[in-house]
This record gives sequence, structure tokens and C-alpha cells, in this order.
Amino acid sequence: MTAPPLTAETRREVGSTPAWFTPLLVWRVLVAAGFAVLLTTRRGIAIEGANRVLVLAGVTLALFVAMLAGYQTYRRRHLGRLLGFTVDLLTASVTGFMALNRMSFFNGLDAVGERFNRNIIWLVVIVAGWLISGWSERGGLSRPRIQRIGRYIMAGGAAIMVLAMGLLGAIPGVLANIADLEVVPVLGVAIVAALFARIQIGESAARLFGTTQSQSEGFDGLLFIAPNALGFLAFFAGPLIFSLVISFTEWSGLQPAEFVGLANYRELLGDALFLRSLRNIVIFGLVAVPLTVAPALLLAALLNSKLPGIRVFRAIYFLPSIAGVVGVTLIWKQLFNATVGFLNYSILEVTEFFNGLFGTAVAAPQPLWISAPEVAMISVIILFVWQRIGFDTVLFLAGMQGIDRSLYEAADIDGAGAWTRFRHITVPMLRPTTFFVVATDIILALQTFNEPFILQAPSTPAGPGNSTLTPVIYLYQQAFQQFQIGYGSAVAWALFILIFGITIIYFRRQGEDGFLKA
Amino acid sequence: MEGANPVSKRWTLLLVALAMIVAACGDAGSGDTTAETTAETTGETTGETTATTEGGTTDSTEAMTDGVSLRWMTRPDNPEEAAVYGSISDGLNIEGVTLTYEPGDNEGSSYQDKLLTNLSAGTAPDVFWIPGTDVARFVQEGVILDLREYASATGHNDADFYPGPMGHLTTDPATGQPADKLWGLPRDVSTFAIYVNQDLVAEAGVDNPLDLAASGEWTWDKFKEVSEGIAALGGEIKGYGQSNWWGPNGAWINAAGGNFFSDDRSACALDSAEAAAGLSFLSELYAGGSAVPFGEDPEPGFRAGTVGMFQNGRWATPGIRTVEFNWDVVGLPEGPAGPGNWLFWGAYVVNANTEHPEQAWALVQALTSTEVQAQISELGANVPSRVSQDALDAFLGFTPPANNQAFLDGLSNNPTTEGPLWLGSWPEFDAVQGPAIGDVISGARAVEDFSANICNEAAAAFGG
Repeated sequence: MTAPPLTAETRREVGSTPAWFTPLLVWRVLVAAGFAVLLTTRRGIAIEGANRVLVLAGVTLALFVAMLAGYQTYRRRHLGRLLGFTVDLLTASVTGFMALNRMSFFNGLDAVGERFNRNIIWLVVIVAGWLISGWSERGGLSRPRIQRIGRYIMAGGAAIMVLAMGLLGAIPGVLANIADLEVVPVLGVAIVAALFARIQIGESAARLFGTTQSQSEGFDGLLFIAPNALGFLAFFAGPLIFSLVISFTEWSGLQPAEFVGLANYRELLGDALFLRSLRNIVIFGLVAVPLTVAPALLLAALLNSKLPGIRVFRAIYFLPSIAGVVGVTLIWKQLFNATVGFLNYSILEVTEFFNGLFGTAVAAPQPLWISAPEVAMISVIILFVWQRIGFDTVLFLAGMQGIDRSLYEAADIDGAGAWTRFRHITVPMLRPTTFFVVATDIILALQTFNEPFILQAPSTPAGPGNSTLTPVIYLYQQAFQQFQIGYGSAVAWALFILIFGITIIYFRRQGEDGFLKA
Repeated sequence: MEGANPVSKRWTLLLVALAMIVAACGDAGSGDTTAETTAETTGETTGETTATTEGGTTDSTEAMTDGVSLRWMTRPDNPEEAAVYGSISDGLNIEGVTLTYEPGDNEGSSYQDKLLTNLSAGTAPDVFWIPGTDVARFVQEGVILDLREYASATGHNDADFYPGPMGHLTTDPATGQPADKLWGLPRDVSTFAIYVNQDLVAEAGVDNPLDLAASGEWTWDKFKEVSEGIAALGGEIKGYGQSNWWGPNGAWINAAGGNFFSDDRSACALDSAEAAAGLSFLSELYAGGSAVPFGEDPEPGFRAGTVGMFQNGRWATPGIRTVEFNWDVVGLPEGPAGPGNWLFWGAYVVNANTEHPEQAWALVQALTSTEVQAQISELGANVPSRVSQDALDAFLGFTPPANNQAFLDGLSNNPTTEGPLWLGSWPEFDAVQGPAIGDVISGARAVEDFSANICNEAAAAFGG
């Protein structure tokens, strides 16, 4: 894909300037000018309030990078290639998505997806052709006729499939969309940017910009992570920054946002429901995490043996963690039902059994698992622990199997018993695993949403007396039920600060103990 | 696979991908996957629009012949209902309009979230359904269209629908009072009734609630007697159950003559003696132990045959139809001020950003026509919102329950209409009153304390 590594001597072969270099320089100027126009005339940035600040900041940064890329390209430096490629890739991606959106691509995806499912048989035909074509050269024998047949089958299958997908019928619609004056320039920019991005990957670009071997390897690395980086920017970093900006606004999601500074955060400090949700989630974490980690460790110790059928048990314990949380929670909701649920029925039966056995008349407790304020959070903890414990067990198990067996053998020689070995070898050697397990469980616990929400759904997600109100449920209520997305975002960032703070403290404590430094 | 030329493979894949992109771009809005129709206007479903066209009184309908695509979305209560809406979309004939039905998620999932996100992103359908309590917010945010102009041009009559929902759908947000506005048309309505396990009633030997209702003796006292009589069967048997949300709780307040709000819905009215009376009765009922513990979902118990009476709306009927015991429905028992009830509803509204408001209005009319309402009523989840004997007859004909009339009686017993707070915030009010009423019913809070403080606690919802 990229150019072979070059030595310093062969860098920058002046005199062999490729034909695309001048257009590239022009393109660099145009891109920078485009961002400058966006920034100065604010045309196209039809966003009000704090969002506008975010967009303007982004455009300013883009302008700076585009100018730098242009200058470095002009100087034929590797940095110009690197920045230029990045700018072109982002430009092509953003404008490409804009053009597709303008052409209603995303609205039509569902229909195409359904047609794809209906015509999947033609995909099977294409695969069959591919297999036939490949089989023709098996065993070092070349069978051109069979290979041709395979290719014809592939081509025929592909042709029928695209026709069945509605290609012909869609062409007029596409032409009409492309004729839209707003689509043409955006699509044009996307195509040109994609072409220049492609050119800069090539060997001639590497030669022109004097890319060294180490630089070439770095560039290859960037190419590999580029798709993921784009996804990260679009679906994680972008929304993350967006929510941070939104948290400083009053925004319903339907009207322009109004910048309110720190007002949302100030309001949070005096918001009794938010503080209640924090109290709930801290208690939840303090109880649920130890109840998950300690049994998982013991369970892993039990499962870390070579008994016949032990793998079946491992799979059984792991199952809850791969089951869909919604389905599992709905089942638990039925189990928790105070009148017809299996838990209370079991308590009743067991109590009656012992009453019969000992001649006592103990009344069977019948907890209101979901509807009593003092019990509702316990139900959520039970569900969390049940679902999480299997995953933690597998992590501990993996950690245990990585412990050097010679340590146990030495302990055996010294006469150590099973408990001593577990206490003085297994537990200390598992500290990196324990750190990971506890950290992830804390983060998951503090972000709890699904379990209490579904247990109490649909009418009272906060639970009886707000007893199962968590910060994430509260932000959901604020953002999506009360249309206060700015305030909901502030709740999200306050929760982030809490999680981040706890994780840092935990991280440092573990660091003081040494293994993280090691 | 070394057999195939990598270049040809690459081009084949590229061509297929491009073909799919082209298909998607050229296909947006047509949606043959769900429901699309581009037929002549012939059916009665768009009778009013058709009549206007035939009369040649408007230019607006001429524009409809250009061929436009409309997307619409509603919140079905179950997959069966979603399928019926899809077939309705298939069957609608609106001249020159291609329809795409987008099934929204149900109440338990994310209909509201999806709608809000779509509206925020500018990708919401042309016509969509919203709950009655949300109308004010959508109007105030300017995301739904005032349809009065189009309604006037097509001979629409507000009186064809129940006045309660239409009051909210014609309210001027500036005054909070009905005016010359039209924000949409109600999709359907529902009231509460009591689902009765007839087998448990017979086993307990108590008076049958349906007989008591027929003889005019279905009062709170009798209701309590029946509930306690059934619970006396012992074990896990309970006499009564209701879910924990404002509707069932509020029905008892309404029956006592109280209300959540003042008459003009501009202030809290939960501090009244009548509201206290309703809550006291409910609290005593639960304290007596004959009811499913407050806050527990009673529906699994009712369906399992361990709960004698279960208060819920018409939407619960499809689920109850699967039980194997004998059951029927009866109206709510009469309290000091009569039976009391709620009129629940939701409305089809038009996206303020639609490019085809006239066609969207025609779609709203078609979706609320007698024929469509009768078709949906067949599932048993809804009561027609149109005051039409044909629609009501269709509704009454779909049994069980045999006593469908109980739901219609609820409509005629001066129910309180579910609706938004035009001069306040319903979500904020609900967030305060819900836990407070729950505390009173479960005995955690004295009703006197509730009466003395609740309206102060809820003042912020009215801007106080």
C-alpha cells in the first residue's frame, strides 16, 4: 500500500515532481480558504448558542491544521504529507456523509437492508462462484475453464443481486438527488479529497515528501488506525465533547441552546433528587462490588481444577454475563414479584418445610422485592451480582492459570495447606487481575441503569420513594422525559467526575502498593 | 482465495457496494419494506379530503397529485398492533401520496427517546403520535404544526371527536385555553375498568361486581367487601390490584370529587378534602391486606388467577384475552362523587418541518377515520376516538370481554381528561406527586401531612 522504506540519500528527489503536486498545492489553498470562509462569513454554521462556539472552535482548529498542511506540503516535508492526508481523510469523510445524508441515503438504508435480506440467496451464489473459482487452482492445478465459470457465476450473482436490490429503480431518484444543487459541491469536495488522500498514500508521494523508513512505518500505523479513529471521533469523542458543551447550556433538543455557564452544575449541588441518586449509587457500589468480587474469586478457585466436566460448570457460571440484560431483568422481575414470584414462593416452601420438621410456626417473610423502598435496592444488587459474577470469575480464573506453578510446589514442600496457598500465593499474585476486576465493577456499578430501570418500568423508574434512582436514570429522566438535555448532560459529567475520581484514587492506591509501577 | 483475480474481486465488491448506496439513495422514503401506496383516492378513509377535491373547492388537494412521500410513526402497544398499523398504511389510499409506516417502539422501550432524537436531528416523520400529556411541550417547542388552516379548508369538524382531547388539541399555548388552533387529532381513547376474575368471585361466594353494577350498587363499600371476600380465600389470593402510577391512583381521587389540578389546570388541587378522601380510602384498602401490595405489578397475578379484580385500561385487554379462566370487565365503583375515571388519549400530530403539510393533514384524517379506528379496535387495545356510532358498534362487537360497554360508560361518566399542563410542567408535577401519593397509599405518610404540604412541594411545577 505505502512506499517502500527510503534511505536518507534518496529523500526528496527534486526534479521528478509528479503531475499531481501542483493541483495538490491548489487544493491545499482551497481547503484552507474554505475553512477561512466558513469562519469569517459563518456561512454554513447555522448553529446558535454554545454549539456555535464548539463548531467555530473546530473550524478554527481545522483552518490552522489546513494552513500548516499547505505550508508543509509546499516545503515538501513529511509533516505536510501526514497533515494533508489527515485533513483530506477527514474532509472526504465528513463531506461524504453530508452528501449521503443530503441524498437521503440513511433514510433508505432500512429498505435496502430488508431487500438485502430477501435476496440473500444471490450472495450465496456469489460466494459459490468465489469458491468454485478458488477451487480451480487447488493442488497446484490450473483449470482456467472452471475458474472462468466461477467468475461468471460471481458476476451473474452480483448483477442479479444489485438488480434485485432495486438499483435500476433507484437510479432516477439518485439522479434527482445529485441534481440537487446543494449535493453537487459537497459530493465534489468529498471525491476530490478522497482522491488526494489516496494519492498521498502512494509511492510517489513518499518519494516526493522524503519519507524515511521510520516515518513510513509511522504513516502505515496511522493508516491502520484511521478507520477506527474516524469511528472514535464520530461516535465517541465527538458526542463526548458535544455533551460537555451542552452541559453549559439550557437546551431542550428542539430549540437553539442557550449558554448558561455553570448554572446547571450549581443547580446540581442543590438538587435533592440528584444528591439522592448519588447516595443510592454509592451505597449500591459499596455493597454490590465486594459481593461480586469476593464470591467470584472463591468461585474461580473452585473452578481452577482439572475435575471432569469442570468446563461445563465454567460455562454455566459465565452464561448470565452474556445474556441480554433486558431479558434477564424481565425474568428477574417475575421472580421478584411479591405475590406470584418464585423467590417468595421458595421462601414460603422452605419455611413450611422447616416448620413441619421442627414443629415450629415461624411466619415466612414475604419481602416486597420491588415495591418496598427499603428492599428495592437490594433486588437491584442481587441482579447485578448474579449477572456480573460469572464474568469476574472467568477473569480470576485466567489470572490463576497464569500463576507460576512452581510457587505452589515450593509451598507444598514447605507444608503449606490449601488456605495458606490461596491466602499467600493466589491472592497476591492475582493483584493485577483483582485491580482490573474491581475497577471495572466500580465503573459499571456507578453507571447502573438497565437493571433498576427495567425492574421498575415503565412508570416509576426511580423506584418506590426514589430508592433505586441512579444518576444515569436521573439524567435519562431529565434529558428524555423532561427535555432538559443541557441539565441531563451536566448530570452525566458530574457522574463522570465521580467515576474518574474514584478510579484515580483506586489506581493510585494500587500504584502505591507497587504492582502497577512494576 | 488465490483462484480469483484480486482486482476483479475488488471491483465486484466495489460495484455491489456502490449499487447498494445507489439503491439506498434512490429509495429513501419509498419504503416498500413496510407499507407504501400510491393509488387513487377512492376509499372512505379520506372521505373528507376526497369530497373537497370532488367539490373543487380548494387548490391544496391539487398539489397532492404531484406525488409526495410521507413518513408516519406511532407507538403500538404490542407487535400485533404494529402489524395492524402496517397493514393500515398499506391500505390507505391518499391521492398522489406514498406512505411509509415506521413502527415506533412500545411504551416500555424508547418511542419517546427516538422521537425526540429524530426531532432534534431534523429527521422526524411527517406525521407522528404523541401522548396526550406531551401536547403542550411539543406545541411550546414549536415542533408541531397548527392544522386549523388545513382543517378549515377540508370541512373538518372538531365535534366528531370527544371534547376532552379536542380541548387540549385546540388550546392556545399563550392562554392555556381552547382557541382556534388544531394541533392534531386523537388516535384513540381509553378509560379504566376493573377486570374481574369471575371464577374467583364465584369461589369466594361474594356478590358479582357486574351484578352489583347492573343494580346500581357498585359502590366503594361493596368494592371493598368483594375485595376482602376474595382475599379471604387465603394463600396467595388477593382481592384487588392496580399498578403504581398516576392514573389508577388519580381515579380514586376523581371518584371522591377531587382532582390533581384546579379547573383551569393552573394550580395544584391535591390539597382538597376530596383528594384526601380518595387517598384515605385507597390507603385503608391496602392496609387491610386484601390488595396486592402497593407498587407490585398485579397483572402477572391476575393472569395467573390469583387476583380477583384488576384495574387497568383497555390496552390491557389483548393480554388478558390469553387467560384460561372466566373473566369480564366492570366499571369503576362509585365513590362519593360517582364512578370517576380518566380519559386517556394520544394524538397524531404533524411535524412543523414537513414539506407537505396538506398531505400530512390528509394522512392524519385518514388515520383517524371510522374505518381505520374500527380496524384497530378489533385488536381490543383501543377505544375509537371518533364519536361515531359505527366506530363504537365495531368496538362493542369485538369480545371478550362481553361487557365492552364498561369502557364506553367510563367515557360518559364525566371522566377527567388526561392532558398536559399548559401553564405548568406535567413531568415536574408528576415527579413530585407520584412518590408523595405512593407514600400515603403505602402508609409511609399521613394523609393530613400530604394535604398540608403537597401543593407547596409541587409549586415549582406551576412556576411557583
